[in-house]
Amino acid sequence: MHKVWLIAKREYLERVRTKAFLFSTILIPVLMGGGIIFEVVTSTQSNSTSHVAVVSQDQRLATDLQAELESSKDTKVFVDVISPPASGTRQELNDELADKSLDGYLWVTPPSQANALPSFAYTPRSTHDKALKATVDSALQTVLLHQRLTHEGMGASDVASLMQPLQVDTTQAGKAADSTSSYVATAILFLLMYFVIMLYGMNVARSIIEEKTSRVFEVLLATIRPEEMMAGKMLGVGSVGLTQVGIWLATALLLTATPVVSSMMGGAAHVSLSGTELVFFVVYFILGFLLYASVAAALGAMTNSEQELQQLNMFLVMPLAACFFAAGLVFSNPNSTFSVVMSLIPFCSPLLMYLRISLQMPPVWQIGLSIVLMLATIYAIIWVASRIYRVGILMYGKKPTLPEVLRWLRYS
Amino acid sequence: MPIVELQKVRKVYDTKVAVNDISFNIEPGTMFGLLGPNGSGKTSTIRMMIGMTVPDAGSIRLFGQPFTRKNLHRVGFLPEERGLYKKMKVMDQLIFLGQLHDLDAATASKRAHGWCERLGITASIGKKTEELSKGMQQKIQFISTLLHEPELIIMDEPFSGLDPVNATILQDTLVDLRNEGRTILFSTHRMDQIEKLCDAISLIHNGNLVLSGGMREIKARYPNNRVKIAFEGDASFLSHPSVEEAKNYQGHAEIKLRDGDNGQGLLAAAVGNARISRFEVIEPTLEEIFIEKVGGNVDA
Repeated sequence: MHKVWLIAKREYLERVRTKAFLFSTILIPVLMGGGIIFEVVTSTQSNSTSHVAVVSQDQRLATDLQAELESSKDTKVFVDVISPPASGTRQELNDELADKSLDGYLWVTPPSQANALPSFAYTPRSTHDKALKATVDSALQTVLLHQRLTHEGMGASDVASLMQPLQVDTTQAGKAADSTSSYVATAILFLLMYFVIMLYGMNVARSIIEEKTSRVFEVLLATIRPEEMMAGKMLGVGSVGLTQVGIWLATALLLTATPVVSSMMGGAAHVSLSGTELVFFVVYFILGFLLYASVAAALGAMTNSEQELQQLNMFLVMPLAACFFAAGLVFSNPNSTFSVVMSLIPFCSPLLMYLRISLQMPPVWQIGLSIVLMLATIYAIIWVASRIYRVGILMYGKKPTLPEVLRWLRYS
Repeated sequence: MPIVELQKVRKVYDTKVAVNDISFNIEPGTMFGLLGPNGSGKTSTIRMMIGMTVPDAGSIRLFGQPFTRKNLHRVGFLPEERGLYKKMKVMDQLIFLGQLHDLDAATASKRAHGWCERLGITASIGKKTEELSKGMQQKIQFISTLLHEPELIIMDEPFSGLDPVNATILQDTLVDLRNEGRTILFSTHRMDQIEKLCDAISLIHNGNLVLSGGMREIKARYPNNRVKIAFEGDASFLSHPSVEEAKNYQGHAEIKLRDGDNGQGLLAAAVGNARISRFEVIEPTLEEIFIEKVGGNVDA
């Protein structure tokens, strides 16, 4: 273990000291932060008060719509009522759209026969403003239903109580949790792992290829075993990635914690994690990363150049992506046999076991087993990879035969 | 008790026999030369000695015990393919390699400084390895194999690629280490280098052990039956009865004596006829012995 530590320490220090590390640590959050601020600024602009006109012969319908729209919770809408329209109204409205003082207008054409519905035409200034269109649509639905019910002879208070929005509380045995939040947290874990594995897993592979070309391995192999070297490299290079991601996440947390940003974000992307969940998040993230980094190490051991490596890098993320698809099934039924089995497969445990934990705490033995299986798999992959490595570099490209591999295994 | 014992060691790559039942022993405190042309199996033999590869047959014992990685900390190994971390500073690199041999950082640093001074590269200590010349890098690698003060030093082609001045510095260092009691094995394809350095040698050709033993003993096995004479005047002494074969060039002659003759009769005859400026009984060189053994097919 001491030598694994030495190798890891060297890799870590040599990489963290480089200018490339410094730049990417600073630049990527700056770029991402800039992107977020841009997003927030532009979205708050579109979320500021919208200005809509309702044009109708039927004044009652028009004012009901106005009331419904202006009471909308999601967006602030300021509504002009034009009833009845004059002959130049449409032209005026189109001019207002053009000079951006109006965001859209709803034109209600009266029905040609009695008992038929009027026809509605919504003309937005920008077809991209889907949120406003949706608000107008839903307000229209509500008002029409309201009218219809009143028309059928229902009292105003009955209609009001009938149309009150329904509140459904989701609670689970043992804990009160928002399952959407669990899913979002799993999705974040997936994205984080995907990103970190692509970015840093490949670095592990590259560093092993580099060792082959620099020929330092011959000196190292006279003092340490190949698996010690592999494990050291994986931990060292991996820790560099974790350090960088750690710095980024800490910065992100600090930024979102400040009142300014959280008010700007409107509390929209709110994911709450309990203390236990946070611990599991970190544990499964790190174990998952190490597991996939060991696969990267094996890929590095098998290949001799960056190009060869590129062709194999799908093996790195495909299992993870497959697990993400399985996550949907686990989400709908976290305690089914399928979910239990899938979440115990080491390549899936980081995502699926975490998802199950955040949905409903699985039995402790399952969590323990998943962690033990992951550690065993990491060890096994490193062990096999180190054999491939040693045979690969010393056999001059010759593929090892089974008896040869068995002799390698015996001799260490 | 020999420090290194190889007993019928065999290594086959695919269909090529790289090492064919080679046996030799290395006694403590000696300098041992492993000789052979390129591709003769020197590196394959050395790799098995330090456990980097496994023999297909035969046994290897180090320090009187069957091979075990536990004994590797008593061995200093310089591989044929040199490799150092290019971006690392010289001293960091030496300390790192020392630590891998179970030294603490302070000891490694102290010894590394001592060695850099001894080999005259103190000025380069703070530089990155990639900024140094090849010879300089080789010295650093040389130092890295000695930091943990190994009892057995194994060096694969330690002098290749070095200029004569630096090669001599490293040779002298190895002699010093041998005189301190360390056991040294090094391989080379340059047979002229080895004669004055080694106490014992093994000669390998195409994976086969051609010749093995103490340097003096080997030389003694081959008679000193050749004479070089530089002379002026009558060359009739070349038909002296002790001469088996003679080649007369302008002003000097190369003579092969009959077996058992020590050349003294020839010298007397020559002095009587011509003016002799040089008379030398020549020891066979290792290269000549080697050529005689393998039939001339040497590509080194």
